[in-house]
Amino acid sequence: MRIDARNLLDRLGRNEFAYKEFEDRFSDLELWPILEALLRDPRLQTLDQTVTDGTVPETETVDPELAAEPLKNLFSRYEQQSVSPSIAKPVVEEPVRDVRAMLRHLSDLGARGEI
Amino acid sequence: MPMIVCHGPKGGTGNTFVAAHLAMGLSAQGADVTVVSVAARDTLPLHFGLTPAIALPALTAPADEAVLVGGINLRSWRRAPEDLDFVPMLNDLGYFQPGKDRVLVVDVPSSETRLARRLIDHACAHVCTINAQPDTLALLPQAFGEAGIEGLARTAFVINALDETRRLGRHGSAFIRELAGPRLIGRIRMDEAVPESIATLQMLSRYAPASVALSDVQQIAEAIAPTLDSTSAAWIAPVSRAA
Repeated sequence: MRIDARNLLDRLGRNEFAYKEFEDRFSDLELWPILEALLRDPRLQTLDQTVTDGTVPETETVDPELAAEPLKNLFSRYEQQSVSPSIAKPVVEEPVRDVRAMLRHLSDLGARGEI
Repeated sequence: MPMIVCHGPKGGTGNTFVAAHLAMGLSAQGADVTVVSVAARDTLPLHFGLTPAIALPALTAPADEAVLVGGINLRSWRRAPEDLDFVPMLNDLGYFQPGKDRVLVVDVPSSETRLARRLIDHACAHVCTINAQPDTLALLPQAFGEAGIEGLARTAFVINALDETRRLGRHGSAFIRELAGPRLIGRIRMDEAVPESIATLQMLSRYAPASVALSDVQQIAEAIAPTLDSTSAAWIAPVSRAA
């Protein structure tokens, strides 16, 4: 770490510094074509199937809010005032349980011209 | 002795960095850790503050040839990809039993997919380190297709070198979070201190104790720790800290 950064952190009484304010409004975002192409690849559903089939896994401590975060919040979390980079608080609305549901939701948004 | 396999779909994502720091983190929690590199050209010693001249001893080399750093046993087994007896040998050495008494962390290069698959079948966890860049994301469908449902059963994901000051990095990270859900057990922020520590031949914890990458990867080691006591038949997913 550069000495000037070290000095700044010392003056702030912190051991890290990160930008926390972003202006990624969902309506302003372009959907990267590669992400859209990936969402349409059925092989990505494999991960979802490992969960829905019950072949894996007992989870010990999983934040239920994280597991139920809707696609709409994929980007909107950046609009929130995050207290800690490691403990963001997602806005919980309708649940999206798997990639297929996310894909359907994406298609619906596209059909309505919302993305 | 449980085994943790570190293997990602693409080179250059920091797989060896994560393997090294998982070993350190688990050792700090009281585990007796051996970390083995199966790469023909490995950089594992650099993450332990060792010089490039250090050649790690073979997994079967006698104890007096061991390279120990902070109580962690560093080994190599370069012929692992061709060695059909590698998995039986690990079994004979007791590496497939649960518990913290002895833990094996295996650093597998991205190109050694078949070896990784063979090892993951016997591992208590597979840690898949990726970054949020589009060329890495583009490889995920192929990696998932090759692994199949069974192969992904023990997989947990880590995003490394995350730069959320960049829009594409934020979006790639959000995509991975949405895709992996609770299987994303953590993210490691981009930190220049990581290559700087290598350049100064020091461990990151000594060179930059306040490093954000160090604190992030330590949290990931804590998240993985519960899997050490599980059996392959009833795997316990690591704790997600990737909010």
